[in-house]
Amino acid sequence: MRLATLGVRNITRARFRVAMTVLGVALALVAFILIRTVLSSWTAAADFAAKDRIVSRHKVTFIMPLPYKYLDEVRAIDGVKEAAMSSWFGGKDPNHPNEMFGTMAVQPESILKIYDELEVSPEQKQAWFENRRGALIGDMLAKKMGWKVGDKVTLQGTIYPGDWQFEISGIYRTLRRSMDRTTFFFHYNYLNEWAKKNQPRSADEVGWIAARVSPGRRAADVAKEIDNHFDSLDVQTLSQDERSFNTSFLGMISAILSALDIVSVVILLIMMLILGNTIAMGVRERTQEYGVLRAIGFLPKHLAIFVMGEALTVGFLGGVAGLVLGYPLVEQGIGRFLEENLPGFFPFFRVPPATAVTALFLAMGLGLVAAAIPAYQASRLNVVNALRKVG
Amino acid sequence: MSSSEAVEQSESSSPAGNPEFINIRTLRKTYFRGNEPVEVLRGLNLAIAEGSFEALMGPSGSGKSTLLNLIAGLDSPTSGELSIDGRNIGEMGEGERAKWRSQNVGFIFQTFNLMPVLTALENVALPLLLTNLSSADRKARAQTALEVVGLKDRMDHYPRELSGGQEQRVTIARAIVTDPRIIVADEPTGDLDRENADEILKLMVRLNREFNKTILMVTHDPAAAERATIIRRLDKGILV
Repeated sequence: MRLATLGVRNITRARFRVAMTVLGVALALVAFILIRTVLSSWTAAADFAAKDRIVSRHKVTFIMPLPYKYLDEVRAIDGVKEAAMSSWFGGKDPNHPNEMFGTMAVQPESILKIYDELEVSPEQKQAWFENRRGALIGDMLAKKMGWKVGDKVTLQGTIYPGDWQFEISGIYRTLRRSMDRTTFFFHYNYLNEWAKKNQPRSADEVGWIAARVSPGRRAADVAKEIDNHFDSLDVQTLSQDERSFNTSFLGMISAILSALDIVSVVILLIMMLILGNTIAMGVRERTQEYGVLRAIGFLPKHLAIFVMGEALTVGFLGGVAGLVLGYPLVEQGIGRFLEENLPGFFPFFRVPPATAVTALFLAMGLGLVAAAIPAYQASRLNVVNALRKVG
Repeated sequence: MSSSEAVEQSESSSPAGNPEFINIRTLRKTYFRGNEPVEVLRGLNLAIAEGSFEALMGPSGSGKSTLLNLIAGLDSPTSGELSIDGRNIGEMGEGERAKWRSQNVGFIFQTFNLMPVLTALENVALPLLLTNLSSADRKARAQTALEVVGLKDRMDHYPRELSGGQEQRVTIARAIVTDPRIIVADEPTGDLDRENADEILKLMVRLNREFNKTILMVTHDPAAAERATIIRRLDKGILV
């Protein structure tokens, strides 16, 4: 037997109470993990943004298009290595009208150079390049809609009305968390030819232009050069590096992020109070035993170690239980639901390892903090009073 | 020994060593109930010989448990001198007294006070955790102590699986496992029936005679007190 044996075995004395405390800590940690994952998922797009990527859009608003000819002009600007255009199509699957996913008209070769985190097999890539009606879709979209390579798909256009026929040429995965996995990419030429014939005012227009800067150049400087280039023209641009672009979006919801931050701290405080209450009750019940320990020679520091050790163990058990409950709940349950239904907000809803480790250490650390007062009281108790025997 | 001390010597006295093994001079202990001082011990003088078995009797509030706590080093006197084997216990600091207790005093309580989560063997080995003994040595010593009290076959039982008499014997084993020179017992038979009480008292007499332990026992039970070699009576903080 060691000193720790007594501390650990004390935990088994009030099993129901300790089990409830462990469960309470675990649930608090699940809530903490969920909130922190929401925060990290929301900021993931900014955190993982490519540092050398610039997005140029109409200076007034995103909704207004840029002339197609701007694409070549951007490519010609010093410091731009490659550029690609994207246009919002706004298509829907008539069989699943409530499913929302991004539909983008792009130029296949250039878009894959700009967004090199999109991973497609060489065969599927080639098939997409060669098929004017071919579409490249995210793996999560394919899973959600039950689409596979070779399937014929009909989408209804909202901005470009009519039934649009496509064939799934490829399914992409993403190597970084900056891209969502539910986008439907198809050929810009297919859209533009239709527009020239049926909706001429929308022809030769693009939604925005994404560019990568040459090595050694600062994205912010190149973005400024792009904007300066178009400054004297009727349609002016607003160019930002991808991180700034994403961060400016986060700025709009900063109040929500701050509120969630506060809630996560409050949850931890509640967890600490639950732990502290359990430990304090245990110490109170064992006052006489602590008196005996002191009588036979144990020092105040030994009693403090017993109490702290008990709190640390309960905190650890709660932390492990929280992770065991939280991981599948967040990753497989809530996470999967959010990724499938709100891919724009949560392209990758996964518990960051750092959050899991932090949660475990916080459970133990706050357990120690919560036990500080009971441990102090136990170490300061008067031996004679604790034995309750005054003749 | 002061003239105010009333001493009853039993016929079966054990061989005593140092006659002033425990030496108490004008010992006072005052507690405060709110702002009101309560003088529990009032200038006590007493000498206890090494190897004696003494019973302290007296009505509730007479100061016998307070005296026992002071001798055991659980409390410090308000004034006066309390030395054991030449060491002034009253002047020791908290940590020093704790260490001294662990080496010199064994405790037997009325309510046994065993750790319910530990087996009999683990309870007995508990004080040895404060020593440098190896795990195997601690276990061997605890087994020997349980053998002395006749509980070798109950080593792996938890306190809830033992009778009151057996629990008290485990307490005695815990009290002797560090081989202390003094054993203090506060109403050791108070929670036991006559038969078990007799067994415990026999064991204490044996510890005194065979192992030369100095035993101080507080009791209300005259039958228990008769087993001691000396009976001292306290009333209102003085020996009568």
